[in-house]
Amino acid sequence: MSLTISHRDTSTGPVLHVAGDLDYEHAPDLRRHLDTLALHEHQCLVVDLSGLEFCDSSGITALLAARRHAHASGADIVLAAVPANTLRVLALVGLDQVFTIRADGADPG
Amino acid sequence: MSRIGEEPGASDDRAATDAAFTALLEDSAEDLYERAPCGYLSTLMDGTIARINTTLLDWLGLDRSSVVGRMRFTDLLTVGGKLYHETHFAPLLRMQGEVHGIALEMKTGGAGRLPVLVSSVIRHGSGGEALLIRTTVTDASDRRAYEIELLRRREEAERARTEAEQARVEAERARAQAEAALRQAETDRQRLAEALTALQRSLVPSSLPTVPGLEAAVYYHTASPDRLGGDFYDLFPVGGGRWAFFLGDVCGKGPEAASLTSLTRYTLRAAALHDPEPAAALATLNAVLHEHYAAAGDPRYCTAVFGLLEPAGDDGRVEVRVASGGHPPSLVLRADGSTGFLPTPGGLLVGILPEAPFTTARTVLDPGDTLLLYTDGLTEARTGPTRESLFGDDALLAFAADRAPAGAHAVIDALTALLKGFGDGLDDDTALLALGVPATRPSTDPSTNP
Repeated sequence: MSLTISHRDTSTGPVLHVAGDLDYEHAPDLRRHLDTLALHEHQCLVVDLSGLEFCDSSGITALLAARRHAHASGADIVLAAVPANTLRVLALVGLDQVFTIRADGADPG
Repeated sequence: MSRIGEEPGASDDRAATDAAFTALLEDSAEDLYERAPCGYLSTLMDGTIARINTTLLDWLGLDRSSVVGRMRFTDLLTVGGKLYHETHFAPLLRMQGEVHGIALEMKTGGAGRLPVLVSSVIRHGSGGEALLIRTTVTDASDRRAYEIELLRRREEAERARTEAEQARVEAERARAQAEAALRQAETDRQRLAEALTALQRSLVPSSLPTVPGLEAAVYYHTASPDRLGGDFYDLFPVGGGRWAFFLGDVCGKGPEAASLTSLTRYTLRAAALHDPEPAAALATLNAVLHEHYAAAGDPRYCTAVFGLLEPAGDDGRVEVRVASGGHPPSLVLRADGSTGFLPTPGGLLVGILPEAPFTTARTVLDPGDTLLLYTDGLTEARTGPTRESLFGDDALLAFAADRAPAGAHAVIDALTALLKGFGDGLDDDTALLALGVPATRPSTDPSTNP
């Protein structure tokens, strides 16, 4: 099992497609990717989780790091196409109220 | 000369032997002297050589004419030989009239030297006066070589013995060093274990207090004995007959998680003394963790349930108010056999945002009711070969429903047995805390009964 992160730029900001396992072993990959991700003010970082197969507390921490990174640049963050089990975990820890969560993973434009 | 019973013919053999002896007797005494297999010389009492045989002249590479009447015995010796002759040989000879087998060295042609054994006797005249010294000289080269070889062998043996001894000493020292290192490592390990134990004790209470009118039971499991737990719980009085409790789980593992756990536990205890309202206590913890970690660029968080117990009337009922920060909902096992979660929706992970909303849920525990708090080590215990095969909330609810009604100890005992059944599946820290109002109670003041 592994984690695949693909990156594409859109008119509203970068889209990260995170597929595979966001766990203790692989969550640092996302954090490293974020370190090199340029974000500008008023952009929106979309994290597309449609390919996410597993997410534990390390993964949650990595998503929080993404949120912090976006806000530090004056940008916004959206979690898109969050799988049901991950959505349940996010709700349990109250993060469904913290993140903007969009049901579909479609390209924002 | 013939003996009785002697065989004929034996006399013929004896005749042949006698003939051979006769031939020997006819050998020249002079030739024997000159060519004997040892050196002969005669000197006057002052050492002047009067006579010397050919054998010795040949050994020393000397010419008779240059020796007889011209050289003294000591002239034939090396410097060391002369010295020994003066100090030992000559005095001994004068004293005893003869000496035997003294080892000396003679000079040979060139820079050579010949090790010899020398014996001398003084020949006296009829009046007893000393006339001359007769000396025999035996080549001791072989013996000296043998002695040198012997000495070399002995030195070699000694050297080998010394080397063996040194090796033994080295090995002994290395062994001692290894033992010292081992002792040090053992001491360090012991010290570390003690430090970890002391630190671990600061994370959870060593035993639960006795709460009047309440039965409390706990189970605490750390995934590894060497690893500090990331789970925590506590139960303590906050005045007015009220008791506060909390249970939670910090993110991460090991010493860093332990320091977060410690900060969390003591912040909650201090906050509860100030304001024991569950949402207020969690808000204080949230502010402290956010300021301590997230604002410093190192975000850390925990999940926690904080609750307050307050007597509700005098029939043993206890009101419970709980607030949750990102923690799984508590479970209530009722006296009537029903079981359900006590939802605390919206409670956010503690420490990630400067301001976090916490909602409070309320219920009343009647006699026979039990409240169960747990960390996700229980619900995320693996029950199958894949990581998706988790015990889960539904299985926990079903497990509890099968056992309701049950007192606090009965619930913890049942869950402990369940966890042990998971074996290696229980790979995370797990904390369980059950608080129940005993089903059968004497009708006295609840605050005076354990």
